Amino acid sequence: MSNRDDSQYFRHYGEIDNPTVDMNGQEFNGDSGSTLFDTDVNRRTFMTVLSASMAMAAASCRRPEHKLVASTNPTEYLVPGLPNYYTSVYQHKNAAIGLVIKTREGRPIKIDGNPKHSASLGRSSAFVQGTLLSLYDPDRIRRPRVNGGDSSVNNAANTIAQAIQKTIASGKKAVFLIDEHCSPTYVALCNQLSTVIPGISVITLPTLISNAPLANSAVFGVNAEIVPDLSKADVIVSVDNDFLGTDKHSVYHTASFSSNRKPNADSPSMNALHAIEAGFSLTGANADHRHAIQPSEFESVLAGIVAQVYTAKGLSLPSGMQAGANNTAVSNTAKALLSSKSGVVLVGSHLSTKAIAYGQLINQALGSVGEGKPINLNHRLYNSADASASISAFRASLKNKEIGSIVYVETNPEYCSDSELKKLLAENVEFSAALSVAEHETAQTLCSVSVPTTHYLESWGDAINFDGAYSIQQPIIAPLNQSAISAQDFIMLVANFINASCFADTPTFYDFIRKIQSDYVSKSAWEQLLRDGVSKKTSSFETGTPGGIAQLNGYNVSGGLTLVITPSYALLDGTQSNNSWLQELPDPITKVTWGNVAMMSKQTAESLGAVQGEVLRLSTQAGSIELPVFIQPGMSNNVVSIGLGYGRTAGGKVLDGVGANAYSILAPNVGYYISAKAEKVGRSEKIATTQGHHAIERYDNSSPFDNEWKERTKDILGVQEGYITLASLAAAKGGSHEERGHDAHHIADTLSIVDGFQYTGHRWAMAIDLSACTGCSACVVACQAENNIPTVGKKYVANSREMHWIRIDRYYREDASGNVTTVFQPMLCQHCENAPCENVCPVAATTHSPEGLNEMTYNRCVGTRYCLNNCPYKVRRFNFLNWHKDKKTPLDMAFNPDVSVRMRGVMEKCTFCVQRLNEAKMHAKDQGHSRVQDGEVITACQQACPAGAIFFGDVNDSKSAVAKAATINRGNHSSEYKEKNGAYKVLSELNVRPSVTYLVKVRNTDQLPKV
Amino acid sequence: MSVETVTKTAPRNVVECLDTSAYQVNPYPVEEPMREPLVLGNPSLHDVTVKIAGIIEGKPNLKYWIAVLICASIAGAGFGAIGETVITGIGVWGSNNTIGWAWDITNFVFWIGIGHAGTLISAILYLFRQKWRTAINRSAEAMTIFAVLCAGIFPVIHTGRPWLAYWLTPYPNQMQMWVNFRSPLVWDVFAVSTYLTVSALFWFMGLVPDLATVGNFVKGKIAKRLYTFFSLGWTGSMRNWHHYEIAYMILAGLSTPLVLSVHTIVSMDFATSVLPGWHTTIFPPYFVAGAIFSGFAMVMTLLVIAREILGLKEFITLKHLENMNKIILATGMMVGYAYSMEFFIAWYSGNEYERTVFINRAFGEYWWAYWSMVSCNVLSPQVYWFKKARRNIPLMFIISIFVNIGMWFERFTIISTSLHHDFLPSSWSYYTPTHVEIGIFVGTIGLFLTLFLLFSKYLPVIAISEIKGVMPGSQPSYHDDNHH
Repeated sequence: MSNRDDSQYFRHYGEIDNPTVDMNGQEFNGDSGSTLFDTDVNRRTFMTVLSASMAMAAASCRRPEHKLVASTNPTEYLVPGLPNYYTSVYQHKNAAIGLVIKTREGRPIKIDGNPKHSASLGRSSAFVQGTLLSLYDPDRIRRPRVNGGDSSVNNAANTIAQAIQKTIASGKKAVFLIDEHCSPTYVALCNQLSTVIPGISVITLPTLISNAPLANSAVFGVNAEIVPDLSKADVIVSVDNDFLGTDKHSVYHTASFSSNRKPNADSPSMNALHAIEAGFSLTGANADHRHAIQPSEFESVLAGIVAQVYTAKGLSLPSGMQAGANNTAVSNTAKALLSSKSGVVLVGSHLSTKAIAYGQLINQALGSVGEGKPINLNHRLYNSADASASISAFRASLKNKEIGSIVYVETNPEYCSDSELKKLLAENVEFSAALSVAEHETAQTLCSVSVPTTHYLESWGDAINFDGAYSIQQPIIAPLNQSAISAQDFIMLVANFINASCFADTPTFYDFIRKIQSDYVSKSAWEQLLRDGVSKKTSSFETGTPGGIAQLNGYNVSGGLTLVITPSYALLDGTQSNNSWLQELPDPITKVTWGNVAMMSKQTAESLGAVQGEVLRLSTQAGSIELPVFIQPGMSNNVVSIGLGYGRTAGGKVLDGVGANAYSILAPNVGYYISAKAEKVGRSEKIATTQGHHAIERYDNSSPFDNEWKERTKDILGVQEGYITLASLAAAKGGSHEERGHDAHHIADTLSIVDGFQYTGHRWAMAIDLSACTGCSACVVACQAENNIPTVGKKYVANSREMHWIRIDRYYREDASGNVTTVFQPMLCQHCENAPCENVCPVAATTHSPEGLNEMTYNRCVGTRYCLNNCPYKVRRFNFLNWHKDKKTPLDMAFNPDVSVRMRGVMEKCTFCVQRLNEAKMHAKDQGHSRVQDGEVITACQQACPAGAIFFGDVNDSKSAVAKAATINRGNHSSEYKEKNGAYKVLSELNVRPSVTYLVKVRNTDQLPKV
Repeated sequence: MSVETVTKTAPRNVVECLDTSAYQVNPYPVEEPMREPLVLGNPSLHDVTVKIAGIIEGKPNLKYWIAVLICASIAGAGFGAIGETVITGIGVWGSNNTIGWAWDITNFVFWIGIGHAGTLISAILYLFRQKWRTAINRSAEAMTIFAVLCAGIFPVIHTGRPWLAYWLTPYPNQMQMWVNFRSPLVWDVFAVSTYLTVSALFWFMGLVPDLATVGNFVKGKIAKRLYTFFSLGWTGSMRNWHHYEIAYMILAGLSTPLVLSVHTIVSMDFATSVLPGWHTTIFPPYFVAGAIFSGFAMVMTLLVIAREILGLKEFITLKHLENMNKIILATGMMVGYAYSMEFFIAWYSGNEYERTVFINRAFGEYWWAYWSMVSCNVLSPQVYWFKKARRNIPLMFIISIFVNIGMWFERFTIISTSLHHDFLPSSWSYYTPTHVEIGIFVGTIGLFLTLFLLFSKYLPVIAISEIKGVMPGSQPSYHDDNHH
């Protein structure tokens, strides 16, 4: 780590063809991130300044200049200034997500979904967007380490090979511990490895245990995780299944769920989501009916629903069923399912096999299983067969000291396993080596050999999607670090050292893929596959005989205070924690950044005698962690919800000291609900939230400000209640579009004494459907990646200085019985026609374009911040400090060269992706069009949005999607003009005339089941 | 005391004979037997010169230098804090993306407000022939200029890139960029710079005869040269006086609208916005009243000290102080009216944002700032209904400090509490100042006091020529009873 050589980071893609190309990565246009002085204030500078600042008024200061270096020997297909796009695939554990990577001058700068890939549909998630930054992580390992000293890849491979040979010779086993993946060629590689070298076994160690394969095999004979198709379901019951949030396929699920969430008063129909949960998940927040229950009740509630559904359908209960509960959660849900055409029950894969099996029994009884139904048995995650048996066997052989050496292949059990396994790995293994992108906990504490592996954008691989479609993971850039090697390549190298005949004909994993994947041998087939990013041909899966549910286990959750351990929204299981974009991404529910918290209801906190921010020590049978209390509306009492992925201790500077590790309180075979004791440790922590620092935004008919709140809610969310129900939407239908007078501008125009500006060319505008938006926050990180938005760190988020150009506002409403409904509202610059920020800027740094954009001229901005004060939406973001100052090489390579990097002291905000607009206009001109056609330009947030809730385009073109979206009939809800049509502008009574139209949220609450 | 008194004393030199006010001619004989005399102790005109110019000629004691050193050190630390801000960025302050302005603009408005009393006393009271102003106008004007200098620091350093702050002024440039004349911040630049210029001119104009007197009085060669140079060749001739009176009258006329315009325009920084709590039509008169209120309080604070230390009790009499206390009471009632009217309008408007902003002001997280403001500004001056209180020196000193504090909180309340809870609850936030901001504010107090201390030593703190003009015997119609 000490011998860092900065010159070796940058590797140009063209270097593959032409190693003489030299681009030093400094060729950004616009402002550099530098400031007047790039020094820290120490005593001497302070004294200097003390004397100098009196004379400073006379001094003139300039930004430092950067030199441009010419690219004199370019590559043929690289046109400087124009992007190149490549397909690839991201293996999100065993879920394949097809991608299109945008590169500029050889650098990947943006990741988006591949529209041809059925799991991504061209959309993406915050986590996938964030993988870009991990590529350029400066904390990645630079050189292989062998016994504490720098080494070479060959030497490291040889050392591992010798250790393995020694292990095998001594009669013990050597284990390659790998992470979940969905690469068929990797599977073939592992099989071949353990066949050729019998002493080696390859074991998959998932970070999160899924009980779904066992349950599915009991009910359907399918030993795999089944991926439901929510677009085919009209009633969806989620039993602690966070399919919209932390699910591996959240993008796919959000897309298919939201496709039925855009009702129109002319044909009011939408799906209904019932959530039964203990914590408060994103899925729960989007639910039309939400039941907060105790973790111990899951199995009995599901059994109760099984009983009611089976009874109604005249079926006899399968043997081995436990007695079901009978409460409102059960009866309401059962009624809704029975009245549905294609209801589906989704049970969280972390729940017990019994609970999951009950859910599948209900689906079976409802007739929702089969081709074209919500549960299609052929839609399953590749390589997701039950791993618990092999892990138990692994534990047993560890206990018996049968394992001599372990190679941790991109796995980090020192961080993400229970204390028992950690102890076994530390004490009962003679030799350990780690292949990882960063020197993580396992590499640091257990391993004598540590080898840098490549990021997925740097190496070859492949993946199979849940529908069987095959994709190639192609490298987009040569490894930034010359020593980095893909895990598969390295395994093959080690195998080759042990047995020279092993992989002799395929020296690299690429060769191995070409050999194994016999369908794509021909050049045209291969290139077609790379170009599309996904195969047309799909492989099929086998289905066995159901094993029956009698033998399935439940979890025993005793009463009292129960911890609910879930993946966190931003970091999930913690493998990508050294990522400031994700660390600073507000949790969609709590809006907490940079750390996890102990979420609990107000009553629970009161019973523990704790207030917000007070640190609790939570002790389970396995260990204890200390976390600050976060009071969350809508939580079940006596439940504390904690996110995983935090509390990493090694592997980078970003993750260091952020949050606490919830894996450490998990114990084997007890699941993710654990009884715990809580005690106060006597200190408080400042929680860095981006919203609700001081107020829970709600009204409950008891506050003296109720009326004010209702009015305010109407101005912000369109209607007093914050949403409308499907029934009221149907009732509120009326009048033609013209009669409804959808455009508030018409009314305002008649009041104005001057004529407004006539937009004759383009008139850019956006529409956001609050009904479709799930609050997933993919747009936030997509915008960050597209627009070079800096992160500011925990300290400054706590002082409301986060820089996100788009944020997801989250509003709660709590009824008298404590039920919470949530509305998410993406909030970005509204590009007001009558912008209050524009007229107050003394230097005219923010002005209006003839195409309706509210533009920010960074070079002109002196930073008076009056625009920010006068912005009713508070979407302007000020560079209080030089946020890019600590940005180390090669993080700056992630910058989008089309967007200026803002220096300190200037204001910034959403531009409607003006760089994309300009590119589209130039493109249109090249094509001989007079104007940009609808759909030719999409903003980064719109592109990422898995729900398809964002529409963008030219409202002067009445056929454009955005113009049509703004006329979607969401009913006529009041006599006031601004609310007609349910398409409204936020704070429209200020007459600032925003360009962003919101469609009021519709919830399917009143479609009460009739049985 | 009479004209004879002057002739009895042998003049030390020719210019001394021209000691101006002795020969001033007031065409309107004024007898004010019923009023309290404006100068106590019946000093001779020469005694006045000796007393006031003597402060300049005399050697200051150690205490004075210690006071200067302390104040200058505080000012220096303030400049250090400014340096830290410029080097590192506005991020060293506590403001954020919800609360863009906090102590910076609070301090700006606070100092600008203080700068109001000087011109009011000099110009408006002059035009209204309020003779009692003569004792205090000089120091009040000096205070005005120093306060505006302190105020002027903040608009510059509060910008994100202060080295480009000059872009707020319209000047021909190769960028072909003009300022945005729609922005009240640009109006501010004009208003404040005009005010500073005119106030400084007015102050200097009034100083010219006195500088000549001081130039005669002091013995040091360099000092004599300097004072004489800045007296612009004043000879005390009838022509001099004639032009002086005309110029002074014109400047007084020019300054008078500025008293109203500066704070009106400062108030428009807020009133023209859309922010509830800022967007208020009452702001211009409310701000002007508040400015006069705070300005008089600051004059009071300084005078109570100055008359004690410099021994100017004969000139700055209880009558002067009482008159000022009456103005403090009157303007205090005006701001009190404005506070209540804001609440009334918030309720009457039916606008939910206005309502919540004002309820939040009084009962929200910043309740302490609001109630500090109300108790200091509205409640504390009520004691001035009683004459005893109006003439009680320690009490009026305490109240003047209260008013200074209260008026600072008024600006903080308006600026920060309106910002921290505005339209969308999602962006609500809270503001806490950092050591840098506190340092800068305390530094400007240090700068202000340093300048005032230097002024009180090196320039006549009381307008010698004017005070002579209001003394008995300065009018030609005057008849000393003893001679009849």
